Amino acid sequence: MAEPITIELPPPFEDAVALHEREIMRFLVRTTRDREDALDLFQETWLRAYRAYPKLDSAAGLRPWLFRIATNLCLNRARGRMRRARVFADEQPDIGRWSASANGDHTAVLELKSAIAGLPDKQRQALVMRKFGGLEYDAIAAALDCSPESARAGVYQALKKLKAVTER
Amino acid sequence: MKAAHKSGAVEFTDGEASAAAIDEMLGAAHARLVHDLAIVRRPPARVGVVESRLGPLLAAESPRGLLALSFLDHSDGGATIAAIRQLFDPVEDRAVAVRVGAEIDRLLDGDASAVAGRAVDFSLVPSPFRRRAFQRLRTVPAGAVVTYRALAAAIGAPSGQRAIGNTMATNPVAIYVPCHRVIRSDGSVGNYGGGVDRKLMLLRSEGFKVDRGNRVPAGAVYGHWLSHIFCRPDCSAVRRAERRQWIIFGDADHARHAGMRACKLCRPA
Repeated sequence: MAEPITIELPPPFEDAVALHEREIMRFLVRTTRDREDALDLFQETWLRAYRAYPKLDSAAGLRPWLFRIATNLCLNRARGRMRRARVFADEQPDIGRWSASANGDHTAVLELKSAIAGLPDKQRQALVMRKFGGLEYDAIAAALDCSPESARAGVYQALKKLKAVTER
Repeated sequence: MKAAHKSGAVEFTDGEASAAAIDEMLGAAHARLVHDLAIVRRPPARVGVVESRLGPLLAAESPRGLLALSFLDHSDGGATIAAIRQLFDPVEDRAVAVRVGAEIDRLLDGDASAVAGRAVDFSLVPSPFRRRAFQRLRTVPAGAVVTYRALAAAIGAPSGQRAIGNTMATNPVAIYVPCHRVIRSDGSVGNYGGGVDRKLMLLRSEGFKVDRGNRVPAGAVYGHWLSHIFCRPDCSAVRRAERRQWIIFGDADHARHAGMRACKLCRPA
């Protein structure tokens, strides 16, 4: 008797959702530290994943692939925030409206913000993801498409430059 | 620990959101996700493996009709699935395989109506030229054949016989789109994506009896697509009419069965 021939179908998308939604949500909550943002990015992550699902060709690659999508979205969000922060930094007279700290700190905060905004892209992104986003170096490396060592070095370099600014 | 709804912030214990907070957020996210997914959802394609007398076949059916049917021993099933995935959400469904298998059995027993009557979805054929060729080919009845050249002429490409050859090689729905009914202009049966033996088996079971050299038999008659008249190959009407109008029947009976009448000049048997 010949072996019955079977075909291998990719798992239905619903299975992927059921399997990974919890860890994706946990990841997004930890990264954004904000309920509404996490819910938005959760929605966006799965919609993007569904759209690109036909391009994923191995079931084993599903989990890192999902995390890559979520990480990219977090990175976009962090970039958007950075951009907004830079706009504020340019408008020096308005600073009192958004910063509640004592008057003496204004210049220091401003200097720090503009210093961060002035960092090279990769260093700034790595720094933001590490210090404000709370991502692991592995996740940063995946998001920035570099090695974890390089991500670590980026954060280190960024901190070194900021330190030079604040101590001046 | 519960998530603080009003402030928008999530409370953390040791840098980790509590399980209850995650549960609550998943609950909040689900209805929205299901709603939005339903909007972007690709249509389903039901996929199954047919164990037919012609060998194992991969069958796929969309809501609009049969999407794919390919010989698993002559083609890469994985590539077919990958192509289907681009436009559809494949789900396994044995009922499709059983239905298609039964229809192919009926075809092999000489009843082509079930195969001819089933709707075919040409979603996997991106080229309009190829779609035209496949749609025209579906009008060639069982028991008849066309040449690559005549089919090309019939869809408006009088010197496109090579293009038709390539088109037939990419036929997504074997048997139902009868690319086994396309032969060479010299009268030999030509090649087949599932192997020439299967082409011969299909043609014979449809009543087109090829001769010993696998060529068009001596008693073949030419049927005219538009006038529904059939002639001997040497009839003066055959020489005069446009090439694109001719399809070839193995014998006069099949031409009559397809609703044609005999030519009054050459009086074929």
